[in-house]
Amino acid sequence: MRSVLCYGDSNTHGQIPGRGPLERYGPGERWPGILRSQLGPDWYVIEEGLSGRTTVHDDPIEGAHKNGRTYLRPCLQSHATLDLVIIMLGTNDLKIRFNKPPSEVAMGVGCLVYDIKELAPGPGGSTPEIMIVAPPPMQDDVKEWKSIFAGAPEKSRLLALEFEVLADSLELHFFDAGSVVSCSEADGFHIDAEAHRLLGTALARAVDAIGWSRST
Amino acid sequence: MPDMRFAPPNPLRIADRASGLNALSVRSYNERLVLSLLLQNEGISRMEIGEKTGLSAQTASVIVRSLEQEGLVSQGEAQRGRVGPPTIPLSLNPEGAYAVGVGFSRRRIDIALIDFIGTVRFHKQLPADEANPFPQSNDLLGAISQAMTSLPVEARSRVAGIGLGVPDEVDAMAATRNGSSTSLKALQGEIEEQSKLPVFVQNDITAAAGGESMFGVAKPLNDYLFFYLGARLQSRLILNHQIYKGNSSTSFDHGLVRLESELTKRGRPSEIIWSSSPEWPDLGEAYSEWLEECSNRLKSSISALTQFVEFRTVVLSSYAPRKIAKALCADISREFPDIQALPARVTISPKAVGAASLPFSSRFMIQ
Repeated sequence: MRSVLCYGDSNTHGQIPGRGPLERYGPGERWPGILRSQLGPDWYVIEEGLSGRTTVHDDPIEGAHKNGRTYLRPCLQSHATLDLVIIMLGTNDLKIRFNKPPSEVAMGVGCLVYDIKELAPGPGGSTPEIMIVAPPPMQDDVKEWKSIFAGAPEKSRLLALEFEVLADSLELHFFDAGSVVSCSEADGFHIDAEAHRLLGTALARAVDAIGWSRST
Repeated sequence: MPDMRFAPPNPLRIADRASGLNALSVRSYNERLVLSLLLQNEGISRMEIGEKTGLSAQTASVIVRSLEQEGLVSQGEAQRGRVGPPTIPLSLNPEGAYAVGVGFSRRRIDIALIDFIGTVRFHKQLPADEANPFPQSNDLLGAISQAMTSLPVEARSRVAGIGLGVPDEVDAMAATRNGSSTSLKALQGEIEEQSKLPVFVQNDITAAAGGESMFGVAKPLNDYLFFYLGARLQSRLILNHQIYKGNSSTSFDHGLVRLESELTKRGRPSEIIWSSSPEWPDLGEAYSEWLEECSNRLKSSISALTQFVEFRTVVLSSYAPRKIAKALCADISREFPDIQALPARVTISPKAVGAASLPFSSRFMIQ
């Protein structure tokens, strides 16, 4: 059996757009669940989605535990052995409090990639396959979040290109979530159930396309 | 000194993607390797690419993605077998690139536009005569631009280049006639000037063999003997994908010229044999005698060559009706049970298609 770790933020957690912080899509509805059903019994799908997670920043308001870098190592080691790590982060880095251009967000993802390579939690101490997923661009209207995400929607449209440049340069698998889904109008930066279904299905296909030998 | 691991990534490949085909310089060896592999093996998966090239899954992923976005490669539907993980087949996108080829012959000039998998999308003939092997360049330039404009506007930027397949003697004749070697060079220059595309020149028969290796029955073959039956009967030997041309300039006078003279001797019309007609009418005794002579010539060449080189396949290329190549191949197989004789797959102007394959090999494939 192969293992895939889905490392992300609220859109991996399954946060329902425009609803309270504790309202989450069910295990079979959020994209890692769709991925699980699409990939079938040969795969063990691990969900690690935390609302507010950034790539490499301690969040001065939401807390240091939102830092995707500090949690990644214990997380990788807890779930080893991993055949594949899927990272979909970046939206929270666009909060005005971090004041980062899209290229810097991509570099944050790059740091996570270095950490994965260093820790080598793949089979036999190898580097697992790594897939970078660019989050879908935000809607222009992010409702009551507009001051927190001031300037973010525009930057979010540039993430896919920056992430792909990074993926090319570090030789990583890449998928642009914006090519299959958009953020919900309800809050402007979360994805709805239908989008989870589409994204999970598309990612299952991207995972298949990597090509896996029969023996595990 | 910053930690160079965190230096900004190099955006070269992606930044260059904006307009249609990537510039020549950006096409890396690995990209060529993957394209060549896809040309040979339609529908292989990324994992098989990795296995055959030694590239890691992630490197193959980056290259395939880049080729996909450039429109050169497309993904098929997932194939789910009864056992094992599903595979996703990759293929060259026929509409990913195009090329124009010009094949010069004694009686005619063929202009063909082919797509990325060698399908002829446009074909036209211009008359030529022995005294004047290159036509009025305006006619040829016109036919080339007609070939290009046969494509939808948005596809025209995907024409990779133009190839010219020129017989040695035509080249030499043109040179002596004008007292300098400018004729072919000048033509090449004019075509480059008009089309703003690279123009490649190769011997016509070598080009036809190359076209068959790239798109035809010779795709999987490392070694084979290639015959081209046109006005004359000519051959090339392909060893380990290299095309060899004999030192002597002899070509056998057993081609269509011989058939023509036999027909004329008997007072029969012969125009039909120079057309691209898929069928000839009954040409009587002249035809059957010629076919037998031609078959004997092929067999004696093969027999002579087998003394020196080992090859298991003979490919016979011709624009003449397919039943001729089939009949000759059957004769060869009967005579040499160990040798497989195959009629070439490229039948619409093999020289022009072969010439059109030159820009592809130069720009996309490993040599």
